[in-house]
Amino acid sequence: MRRVPLLLAALLLAGPACAIQPGADPVPSVMWEFYRKQWLQDEPYVFDERVRVIAPPFAEDARQVPLQVDARALPGKVQRILVWAELNPIPRVVDFHPGPQVLPWLAVRIRIEQATPLRAAVLTDDGTWHIGSGLIDAAGGGCTAPSVVRSQPGWEERLGQVLGARYPREAFSRVRLDVSHPMDNGLTGGIPEFFIEHAELFDAKGQSLATLELFPAVSENPSLGFDLLNQGATRLVLRDNNGNQFDAAIE
Amino acid sequence: MRALLLLLACVSLPSLADLDYRLAPRQIAADTYVLEGSTEHFSRTNGGNIVNTGFIVTEAGVVVIDSGPSLRYGQALRKAIESVTDQPVVQVLLTHHHPDHALGSQAFAGVPVGALPGTTQLLEEQGDGLAENMYRMVGDWMRGTQVRLPDQPVAAGERAFGSHRLRLLALTGHSGADLAVFDEKTGVLFAGDLLFYQRALTTPNTPGLAVWLQDLQRLEALPWKVLVPGHGPLATDRAPFAQMVDYLGWLDKVMRESAAQGLDMTEVIATPIPQRFAGIALSQYELIRSVSHLYPQYERQVLKRVDR
Repeated sequence: MRRVPLLLAALLLAGPACAIQPGADPVPSVMWEFYRKQWLQDEPYVFDERVRVIAPPFAEDARQVPLQVDARALPGKVQRILVWAELNPIPRVVDFHPGPQVLPWLAVRIRIEQATPLRAAVLTDDGTWHIGSGLIDAAGGGCTAPSVVRSQPGWEERLGQVLGARYPREAFSRVRLDVSHPMDNGLTGGIPEFFIEHAELFDAKGQSLATLELFPAVSENPSLGFDLLNQGATRLVLRDNNGNQFDAAIE
Repeated sequence: MRALLLLLACVSLPSLADLDYRLAPRQIAADTYVLEGSTEHFSRTNGGNIVNTGFIVTEAGVVVIDSGPSLRYGQALRKAIESVTDQPVVQVLLTHHHPDHALGSQAFAGVPVGALPGTTQLLEEQGDGLAENMYRMVGDWMRGTQVRLPDQPVAAGERAFGSHRLRLLALTGHSGADLAVFDEKTGVLFAGDLLFYQRALTTPNTPGLAVWLQDLQRLEALPWKVLVPGHGPLATDRAPFAQMVDYLGWLDKVMRESAAQGLDMTEVIATPIPQRFAGIALSQYELIRSVSHLYPQYERQVLKRVDR
């Protein structure tokens, strides 16, 4: 009889992990469990087709692979989107916290070192991670290729320059941003890590709209796209790991 | 056990021994032959033979136009030439530096390989990487293939081989350095990859679609009788030009309009291909590639400085 409370306790402890069946991994890979434990710990998760991870079937340029993450079809409020390329030497791409004025949608360009599964783990306000998956083929070498930016004369003068525009849609507006930065990932000989690690969007009143942590799997001269419900002026603040801060504003 | 081994040998040996391009020269005009490749993508089945190469048998020897994707192809091309003529090969001309056109040159040891200086430079910069990728895509067909750089700079102008006066045109639209060869005697135009027909064009090194369209105008104005595109079937009418101009115009319009709407590259890649291009092989695949190559330039044209 004394075993019953123990058993109950064990069941309760195991509860959250058992409450949801994650389903089958659409792109099984050896690294999935490792990264899941590292970043999602034992929080409940489910493989969810409603999280779309959109990339071309193959990387034409492994240094600049377009990647779109679309979690707009999920019910509930999205709190966080973690994106990674599973077989990359630097797997993590971004850690995105969209506020209520920002749609759970993101466009970014990334580097990949070899053919790899791509993942977007989307945390909704019920505490569940919804895992979107994709797969991309590649000849490889995107992470260890020599820097293109550093081969261009005068790149230091352009450091932190931001090109951008706002494109109004019916219910929201698209903001596109191109930032001049080498995003050195430390994998090319003799060049230490030097990359933008933090981006934050603010509205006209200075209220934070969204934050984005970047990792050096993001391509050189990062290209970013957001969809905002907020229609007014938007300010962007970027910070790199050397302490440089860059400001931009889009009307 | 022995029977099993024998069986295994029978199964595996042909796959090794069968790397034969089976090049069959087809006469398309007086003294002029073409080896027409498929309109597929590179594969282990086709060994990279997706390209049209050609040769002209002149009184002064044979002029080869493009050496193909591999050493093995170059050797097969030599055999194909020997099946038609006893004349020695005296000249190889490369239309541009892309691997399917320029990696067979090793087979022509002792024969001058001519190319535009820009082609030689691009081959020097990119050749090893391009060859490496070919090994990855077509495998054993590439065995022994190394980049042989052109040893003879070629410029625009006329070069006579026997009774064949060849007009050489130095253009840039497809790869940054594109040589077109027009035989004034026969009216055959070897357009290289400035001209694709029934096969989607490729854009890895194009200086821009507008430049390419200008090059096409220059080529179309020549008094050609037969068109040899770099890829796809030959033609005696202007259909390949019409298709190229239509397709390039569409590609330019898609990217211009997409950039003006702030579309992401992944969204542009998903653009449906118009029905009129349905007969063009690999258009969906090449759209992905072309958008990857060119869309950032279109984006930069519509973005403005917003940093403070």
